[in-house]
Amino acid sequence: MTGLMTTWRAAWSEAMSNRRGFWFEATIMIFNDVIWLVFWILFFRRVGEIRGWDIEQLIVLQAILTTGGGITLGLLANARHTGHLVLNGGLDAALTMPSSTLAYLLVRRVQPINVGDIIFGVLLFTFFGNPTVSRTIVYLLGVAIAATIMTSFLVLAGSSAFYLGRNDGGDLGFHAVLLFAAYPVDVFSGATKVLLYTVIPAGFITGIPSRLVDEFDFGSFLACVAVAGGFATAAVYSFNRGLRRYTSGAVWTTA
Amino acid sequence: MIHARTVAQRAAAAGLSRIWSNTGTVVFTAAFYLMVTAVLAALWSAAAAVNDGHIVGYSASALIWYIAASEAATIALPQRLIEEIGQDVKGGAIEIEMLRPASVLLVRLSTQFGAMIARLSICAACGVVFSLIFAGRPGDFRALALAGPAVVLALVLSLVAQHLFAAISFWMRDATATWFLYQKLIFVLGGMLLPLEVLPQTMETIARWLPFSAMAYIPARLASGHFEPHLLLIQLGWIAAIGAAATITFNAGQRRLLEAVS
Repeated sequence: MTGLMTTWRAAWSEAMSNRRGFWFEATIMIFNDVIWLVFWILFFRRVGEIRGWDIEQLIVLQAILTTGGGITLGLLANARHTGHLVLNGGLDAALTMPSSTLAYLLVRRVQPINVGDIIFGVLLFTFFGNPTVSRTIVYLLGVAIAATIMTSFLVLAGSSAFYLGRNDGGDLGFHAVLLFAAYPVDVFSGATKVLLYTVIPAGFITGIPSRLVDEFDFGSFLACVAVAGGFATAAVYSFNRGLRRYTSGAVWTTA
Repeated sequence: MIHARTVAQRAAAAGLSRIWSNTGTVVFTAAFYLMVTAVLAALWSAAAAVNDGHIVGYSASALIWYIAASEAATIALPQRLIEEIGQDVKGGAIEIEMLRPASVLLVRLSTQFGAMIARLSICAACGVVFSLIFAGRPGDFRALALAGPAVVLALVLSLVAQHLFAAISFWMRDATATWFLYQKLIFVLGGMLLPLEVLPQTMETIARWLPFSAMAYIPARLASGHFEPHLLLIQLGWIAAIGAAATITFNAGQRRLLEAVS
């Protein structure tokens, strides 16, 4: 554990080595998120409520998505690059570490631009999410669930590179989960909706957690926790099994 | 000395075959396009359904054709082209390309044009099939026929605009992340996510005066059944203006690199 903390601190130091660049990138992402919010404001201004979703609910959804997604893509940045690291022989350095290879990989890199997501998400909820004590607790739990499922899903999708020898599945999974999680899940119907609660778990990343902030339901919360646990277990198992097939790139990398 | 036209043709052919020869890229492009189009089509269909079937004069069917065209005009270009060009400037790839007896900008634009045509053919095929299944016949076949060249013009404009935007890397070290800004300007002010008529009056007027609307809104407007041929002239005007600006800026950037080396 101490080793992982040291690695994470080193990752932070590396990201902050160009302090101006760090804050520039984070600010760019905040601007990016603001534009998304503008889109939703314009949309609901013209359309009104749609299948139980209005701008207030959408703000909570965006807050959970950007904070949770920011943790995954910003603080555990290698989750997104698992497939590329596998294919390019980029795990060599991680294999020499005394800690778990996956855990080391996840904390090894901090992505400054996505730290902007975390800042935006927290600010959005603080100023526009009606943050009472109970809502804030549920929001934080929702963020933890979203980050766990998203990280696990990306590792799982990236681990397919061990077995398939290519990372198209990982890339597509990354885009799919971010895309679907950014929209109210009730907009979709039929097979798509089933997909969002199974193969691409976007409904559990933002759909249910944002509903829970408004109206807490213990059963739905437990379902989210179970799904998060299930995906995390599957990700660890899939990565560790796949690691047996890994062949070195014969290059020295820092992962 | 090789003729500039020959260089452009060969670079475009290389770009085209690079995409078509990679099955993974073809499948990924089709899957990603269908995914985004399906999400936005579902959103706008739901929105039209709760507003008596119409939003700002667009029916649910017209909105699906709109989204299919606006997404084709966006996804047929690499999402992070600005970032990639910026990295090539910083990493020294541009300096190596300057050793060739051909314009760096021309070769880059031609290669990307070829790759763009390959991706567009994939997106267009998927978009037409998707729209026919979920929206039915197009509202106006003449307008749809114009949407074809309009998508190509939109992509050419976007291509030169991205090179203009990326040229900032010759002067700024941290310019690569600016692709985020560019992309979002197209999302909202370009009409990629929503028809410009949805915007408040002042914002809509500003959006119509900016080049971003020629990159997504114009082909989408035509595909949604609005026969307005003059929109193509607007696109041609923007291509001339932005193309000239990109050439001047890129050449100035290259001179700056040469001065730094010498």
